[in-house]
Amino acid sequence: MAEAQLVQGNEACALGAVAAGCNFYGGYPITPSSGIAEQMVRFLPGADGVFVQMEDEIASLAAVIGASLAGSKAMTATSGPGFSLMQEHIGYAVMAEVPCVIVNVMRGGPSTGMPTSPSQGDMMQARWGTHGDHSAIVLAPSSVGEVYELTVRAFNLAERFRTPVIVVYDEIVGHTRESVVLPDALEITDRVRAEGDPEEFRPKAITPNGVPPQAAFGDGYRFHVTGLAHDERGFPTEDSQVAGALLTRLHSKVDDHEDEIVDVETFMIDDADLAIFAYGIVGRSAREAVMEARASGIKAGLIRPRTVWPFPAEHIARAAEQVDTIIVAEMNLGQMIGEVERAAQGQAEIVGHLRADGEPMTPAHLLALITNVEADRKQP
Amino acid sequence: MTDIKTYLREWAMPHVLCPGCAHGIVLRSFLEAVDQLQLEQDKVAMVAGIGCSSRLAGYADFCTLHGTHGRAPAFATGLKLARPELDVVVVTGDGDGLAIGGNHLIHAARRNIDITVMLLNNSIYGMTGGQAAPTTPQGAVASTTPSGNTEASFDACALLQGAGASFVARVLAANPIEMTKVMADAITHPGFSFIEVVSDCPEYFGRYNKAGGGAEMLVSLTSRDVAVAGPLAAKRFVNHVPSSEPPPGMDTGVLQREVRPIFSGIRGGDTDES
Amino acid sequence: MTDETKGLVLAGVGGQGVILAGMIVADAMVRAGHDIKQSEVHGMAQRGGSVFSHIRWGPGVDSPLVPRASAEVLAAFEWAEAIRWVDYVREGGAVVVDLRTIVPPGACDDRRNWTTAYPGIDPELFLDRQLKTRLIDASSTASELGNIRAANSVILGTVAAFCGIDDSHWEAAIESLVPRGTEEINLAAFRAGREVADAQAPAATPSPEGFAGPHQIDINHSWCKDCDICSRVCPEYCLAIDNNGKLGIVDSDACTGCRLCELLCPDFAISIRPPMAEAVTTNG
Repeated sequence: MAEAQLVQGNEACALGAVAAGCNFYGGYPITPSSGIAEQMVRFLPGADGVFVQMEDEIASLAAVIGASLAGSKAMTATSGPGFSLMQEHIGYAVMAEVPCVIVNVMRGGPSTGMPTSPSQGDMMQARWGTHGDHSAIVLAPSSVGEVYELTVRAFNLAERFRTPVIVVYDEIVGHTRESVVLPDALEITDRVRAEGDPEEFRPKAITPNGVPPQAAFGDGYRFHVTGLAHDERGFPTEDSQVAGALLTRLHSKVDDHEDEIVDVETFMIDDADLAIFAYGIVGRSAREAVMEARASGIKAGLIRPRTVWPFPAEHIARAAEQVDTIIVAEMNLGQMIGEVERAAQGQAEIVGHLRADGEPMTPAHLLALITNVEADRKQP
Repeated sequence: MTDIKTYLREWAMPHVLCPGCAHGIVLRSFLEAVDQLQLEQDKVAMVAGIGCSSRLAGYADFCTLHGTHGRAPAFATGLKLARPELDVVVVTGDGDGLAIGGNHLIHAARRNIDITVMLLNNSIYGMTGGQAAPTTPQGAVASTTPSGNTEASFDACALLQGAGASFVARVLAANPIEMTKVMADAITHPGFSFIEVVSDCPEYFGRYNKAGGGAEMLVSLTSRDVAVAGPLAAKRFVNHVPSSEPPPGMDTGVLQREVRPIFSGIRGGDTDES
Repeated sequence: MTDETKGLVLAGVGGQGVILAGMIVADAMVRAGHDIKQSEVHGMAQRGGSVFSHIRWGPGVDSPLVPRASAEVLAAFEWAEAIRWVDYVREGGAVVVDLRTIVPPGACDDRRNWTTAYPGIDPELFLDRQLKTRLIDASSTASELGNIRAANSVILGTVAAFCGIDDSHWEAAIESLVPRGTEEINLAAFRAGREVADAQAPAATPSPEGFAGPHQIDINHSWCKDCDICSRVCPEYCLAIDNNGKLGIVDSDACTGCRLCELLCPDFAISIRPPMAEAVTTNG
């Protein structure tokens, strides 16, 4: 068993990436994510990897995609404004099916906003930021240990589904130092490589699991990669049937495998009267608030998605049948709450606790909220 | 000599470009250079952005990446760093490379990453229907400059020389033999190499400016070099000068060549960090 | 000058060994008992420039320069040089041409003039003149023997067939003049060239493998967009757009194989094939 060590959130991200086999990092400095780059440049040269600081975030993700097409496990990290610039290439990576990992250490927005303050304002941008229809895989760790664990998982999911995977956490998680025990043995997934006659190779072949085997540039397979709608050869098409089938496959390869992806922590939910829905750093405060509420006799529970997209609708629906009220606590002015309302289908009352002022949500805050909701619940 | 079609995705032909567009000549000259150098076909990567010129990558039978508008040098940087053994060639246009992608282009030049960029300059946005580009000469008509362009234009080679490109050349699409030779030189140059290919756009630039079709525009290119002549004499290649002054010469050939350290990213052996 | 005086012109470009070959010819002629005069022009070797040597022999020779239309033999070490000097050969004389093409820098790299004037290989040029033509690939022959620098001896072997002196004089001259240690390979090269001369002798037309007839123009109409560039750049007016706006071949016999149309076709729709390209493939 490994020793406990003191690790900062952004450092845990870099450690997790290297543990997952990441051997390419391209990035651009931005607060509060810069610590990840500063760790990667230390780790990668010793891990047979390459680090490059690009001219902007657009170029950073472009370089990451280029490296991934050459066979690397590649990542970048950024914060709000840089995440906005990356949207173009998130869409490209979805369309061209390029595995890669994008970490967004969220800060206050819109625009330059509050660079050193925490926020959860990019939840919808992580889902819908790039134009066009697409599915998304977004992970939301709430602690230093989880940053490590979910960064590894992000690489595994990217390789498994041949798609970009986004990790979002906020400034507090990124800058928190915690004593953690990093696991020794990790399960690592690698992309399925193309085999067989290069002449017969179809880079976008339709396969039973929806994920075509992938060849790297330079491996002896010559093929075309494009962000235009394309056929199985990867060549642009304007055939509506071919384009429609591609879009459907890109969706279904993720959405049909939600059970492999969705990961939700529930705590004391089985007999709960009310539940808090919280993710990221708020999830940690919420857990403490739930325990204190229980100590004072309130049957509270916690729903904490560690994967926010695909949205864990089934978990919400089950919880809504159990509890009367779901409190949605998030550090924005209402993003995931709409999804919770939709998934609950009227089975539970949804109460929002929303703020976007750069201040964290403390356990005391949330406990007061639970107490008020409980009082309302008992006073019909 | 190999049949040049060996390097062509014949199943994808004919290509999408307009009749008389010289971009296809540029592709052919590039394929001839690849053949002359006997590059390993599986190890050539062609990276393109968006626009008419960038469409060429789809027809070349290499590893081809048709990226996003202007970003080809950034894609190429990641590709080259991850697989240094690849011969990475970017094909871009004047709008793609000098407007939306200008930042990526100058930084690739500054780093001296060992890639080759071929910028096909047709003085206009062709794919989107003839809008003014950063290379549209003062006075020239485009769909967004119906009364004649009033903006100054970029001299791509001067820009890249300023950015520190270690190899800079300009060739005419009308001169395929020199084009092939310069391309071969650029590919073998150790470090970042840049070639501006003066191409044409008969469909928009030619039509709007009464410069004739592809044949006329191409032939007029051949008669103009240091001295600008032909139907565009008063309009084209007027870079950074008031329109009242006579047009400066357009130098062709290799304009800058130097050897300096090649950028290969920060990788093992480059830092003393443990 | 008497009627018995005969002339030989050797022409090539710098670095091909033209001057040495001229010295060997002269030496062989002296050994055969002739009076000889030789003249040469060189000095542009570093630039791939033209180098030539005139040799005249007979019972008594006054002038070293071979007059036009009088040479017994033209030995051209390079294709364009054959065209440059062919006028010096008398009617019924012999032309020995190495099929090597060496494009001088001025012809392809002059960026001010877009010069691509290098001539295509066209044996028709010599057919019209009633010349005995031998087209050889001396460089390859010499390479196969082990030293490409012996190519000039291959050419001399073919030339010897038309000079009327015994081969022993040639071989003695070669042995005495080539660099020490290369005697054997140069003699072998000479004999290989001599065989070429004999092997091609019966041919009524100069048709060694792969080089007979005009070039073939193939148009792939499914790729062609009838843009008219090819017809505008063809120096021989072989191609034209017809009244329906479609590209066609109007003079297939005039093609010299300059490939301008092929290189300037944006649509990869034109292929220029050398005469009897298939023969090259099968013999290759």
